[in-house]
Amino acid sequence: MKVIKTVFSLILLLFLPFFIAHPECACAKNKPKYGGELVLSTVTDPKSFNPIVSKESNVGAIMGLVFEGLTRTNGVTTEVEPNLAQSWEVSEDGKVWTFHLRQDVNWSDGVPFTAADVVFTFNQLIFNLDIETSSRDVFTIEGKIFKVEELDKFTVRFILPVKFAPFLRGMGQEILPKHLLEKVVSKGKFNYHWGLDTKLEDIVGTGPFMLSKYLPAERITLVKNPNYWRKDKQNKRLPYIDKIIYLVVQNQDVAVLKFEQGQIDYYGLRGQDYPILKPKEKEGNFKVYNTGPDFGTNFLLFNQNRDKNKKTKKPYVSEYKLNWFTELKFRKAVACAIDKDSIINIVMNGLGSRQDSAMSPSAGFFYNPNVEKYEYSIEKAKVLLKEIGIYDRDQDGIAEDDQGNKIEFNLFTNSENTQRLALANIIKKDLEQLGFKVNFVPLSFNQLTSKLDSTFDWDALILGFTGGIEPHFGNNVWQSSGHLHAWYPKQPKPATSWEAEIDKIFNQAVQELDRDKRKQFYDRWQEIVAQELPLIYTVLPQSIFAVRNKFGNLNPTPYGGAFHNLEEIYIK
Amino acid sequence: MINYIIRRLLFFIPLLLAVSFIGFVCINLAPGNYFDSLKQNPQVSQDTIRLYEQKYHLDQNVFTQYYYWLVNISKLDFGYSFAYKIPVFEVLKSRMFNTFILSLSVLLFSWLIAIPLGIYCAVNQYKFTDKLFSFFSFIGLSIPSFFFALLLLYFASLTGILPAGGMHSLNYEAFSPLGKFLDLLKHLIIPTLVIGTSSIAGLQRLMRGNMLEVLRAQYITTARAKGLPEYRVIYLHAVRNAINPMVTIFGGSLAGLLSGAALTEIICNWPGLGRLMLDAVMSQDLFLFAGDLLMISFLLILGYLIADIVLAWVDPRIQYQ
Repeated sequence: MKVIKTVFSLILLLFLPFFIAHPECACAKNKPKYGGELVLSTVTDPKSFNPIVSKESNVGAIMGLVFEGLTRTNGVTTEVEPNLAQSWEVSEDGKVWTFHLRQDVNWSDGVPFTAADVVFTFNQLIFNLDIETSSRDVFTIEGKIFKVEELDKFTVRFILPVKFAPFLRGMGQEILPKHLLEKVVSKGKFNYHWGLDTKLEDIVGTGPFMLSKYLPAERITLVKNPNYWRKDKQNKRLPYIDKIIYLVVQNQDVAVLKFEQGQIDYYGLRGQDYPILKPKEKEGNFKVYNTGPDFGTNFLLFNQNRDKNKKTKKPYVSEYKLNWFTELKFRKAVACAIDKDSIINIVMNGLGSRQDSAMSPSAGFFYNPNVEKYEYSIEKAKVLLKEIGIYDRDQDGIAEDDQGNKIEFNLFTNSENTQRLALANIIKKDLEQLGFKVNFVPLSFNQLTSKLDSTFDWDALILGFTGGIEPHFGNNVWQSSGHLHAWYPKQPKPATSWEAEIDKIFNQAVQELDRDKRKQFYDRWQEIVAQELPLIYTVLPQSIFAVRNKFGNLNPTPYGGAFHNLEEIYIK
Repeated sequence: MINYIIRRLLFFIPLLLAVSFIGFVCINLAPGNYFDSLKQNPQVSQDTIRLYEQKYHLDQNVFTQYYYWLVNISKLDFGYSFAYKIPVFEVLKSRMFNTFILSLSVLLFSWLIAIPLGIYCAVNQYKFTDKLFSFFSFIGLSIPSFFFALLLLYFASLTGILPAGGMHSLNYEAFSPLGKFLDLLKHLIIPTLVIGTSSIAGLQRLMRGNMLEVLRAQYITTARAKGLPEYRVIYLHAVRNAINPMVTIFGGSLAGLLSGAALTEIICNWPGLGRLMLDAVMSQDLFLFAGDLLMISFLLILGYLIADIVLAWVDPRIQYQ
């Protein structure tokens, strides 16, 4: 959930490393053909081919074609489905999971895939303290790691310290080949293994494609894995496409040019590209898809940190400001004052959606649409403010609180994201209509981070997190003790009763294995967030992309993007 | 002369130390460090980040960090890039050739055009052609490179004559050696034009100025008075003298051979060092940045040393003790 550029998030969607097996097949007339190539573009050059050590999103996307996990997330339904494991069972206490692996899987070099690879990946890579990987934190619950053991050649058992509901989704973790990496790990060199200087034939996975050529900062070529295990309905081996080429194109304007020229087959649109590309659909032989709201959020938050700086003994937020920011009516007034429709029209060229709930509407199952919504109304906002004694007493255009303090505060956002800057400017203007004096300062991302997690010297921020479909992965944001609980992080104990309730919800929900009961927990959480407004959500960009009309079995979805079922896509 | 060169070479050491230390201080002045980008990922714990920071001494002050780096440098170990997880030198090596090719092409293009053009304009001062070239020079100087690059790329995509960015065609592998060379040349045209244009403009103005100065000197009048043909006056007497300051500039531009031009590289999709280093500075990839800084500064002072030696050779009046 790092803050990212919106442009980047569109690209990210394309690269989500999940694939599905069952597209809605209205395409039975067209028999899939083998062969051909798909040309994609990526904004950043990969920095490493090591999927354990390097966690960049674009590498993850490419490596998601090379490696597979025991499970995967269906790009259409967003459900967890079998992948390298064909079935599993869970003990009654929910802590012991037994996975039965597929027996027909070979690594791309021909060596059979077995339980030993799974045990190796977890015990010697992820849980190895010498290896730099953030995956370890995903598989550590309350400071304890999982116990992973091999029962026989194709059965693996995981013993969890406590019940953990997102466990199956977490099992999408890529499995790496033991036979090639064991020696590297024992020499302590794994951190630096599979870097960009590696011979690509040494990178061996079970996925539908394998790396074949890399030209630094120019392109990455993948070719199909002849040993890939998945078969189509006619029992023919997948994938259909022979070759995938990722061109590294850093500049979005150049990417549009390349797409129009026909050099790339896919382009993730920014709002401003839509009026240019949409009319050219026929002429350019492509189609523009809008799959609805994206996952990258934009929200406004106020600093509610009640602590004092340990060195200077001064409070992080001065007392009178804290009084405003912790006052619910103040936050509600702000929520009413934000003109979401203008933001969508001006900043996103009309291609955005308003966000009311803490989860994106595209998140599917856990999304709760029935939360409190704040319609744009400056009058209502002013009434709310008057109720707490904030209005313009001396007719100078700036409101005061009941102690005579002028309502003036700083508003920061990260300067790298131009769309967010534009959004912040509109919000500043909206807040000025309430009689607030807002000092808007764009900061570099690192400066913003240090304010957020060490100096805490800010009043208001506009931020964004990339959301997902699993609410628990936002645990660190919502638990009052979390370090990303941005409005008041690392609380020793919950400062308010609603924060206490959210803590309880997250602790209970993660232990609840019944989906529907889990959903009730997260529904309640979304209601509380919309009610208490610790984060005032604004708008979501829409996920829009253009794809050349040459692919069969194409089934774009909001979660998976255009190519989530890449191994089943063929060229007409 | 040999003594002079040895003295200059010894002087490299304190200079490089100073440059690299200033580099370390600057990158430390910026808030945060490379691993800050992990902090916004809710799935990464703070202990993990602390572990990384300790491993690379990023939790220490700038002097300690610099000390550890120096100790490694003395063993010729430039360290590992945080982002790429491979030795810094390997990262630089992967882009060095591409940058070198582009810079060389720009160097040849701009010097081979600018010097004759400068001489021509000086000789034909205030004539129509001089004014015309001056006009274009000012355009070349003032047009922003990223805009010029986009303009050319747009033109390329409209006509399809030239490739819209990149360094190799998609089917590059299948070409014959001659085909590969031509393919490379084709891809070089736009970035060379973009970077070359502004430097042609500058160099041309300089050369013209130098030349005008020399043409006003008394020995030129003398040469003409004693009846030397005009071409001998210009090329043998005037140009020889006007070229001295250009030699120093040329020495300085040798460092540019490996420094790259980030903006143009990004827009033209040229896989060079410039954009690599821009990313490294932005993400505070300390050792990669320091390694590159060291390399560029070494080339810069080496370039000036070479320029000084060449200067002594070009102009017999200059002597080093």
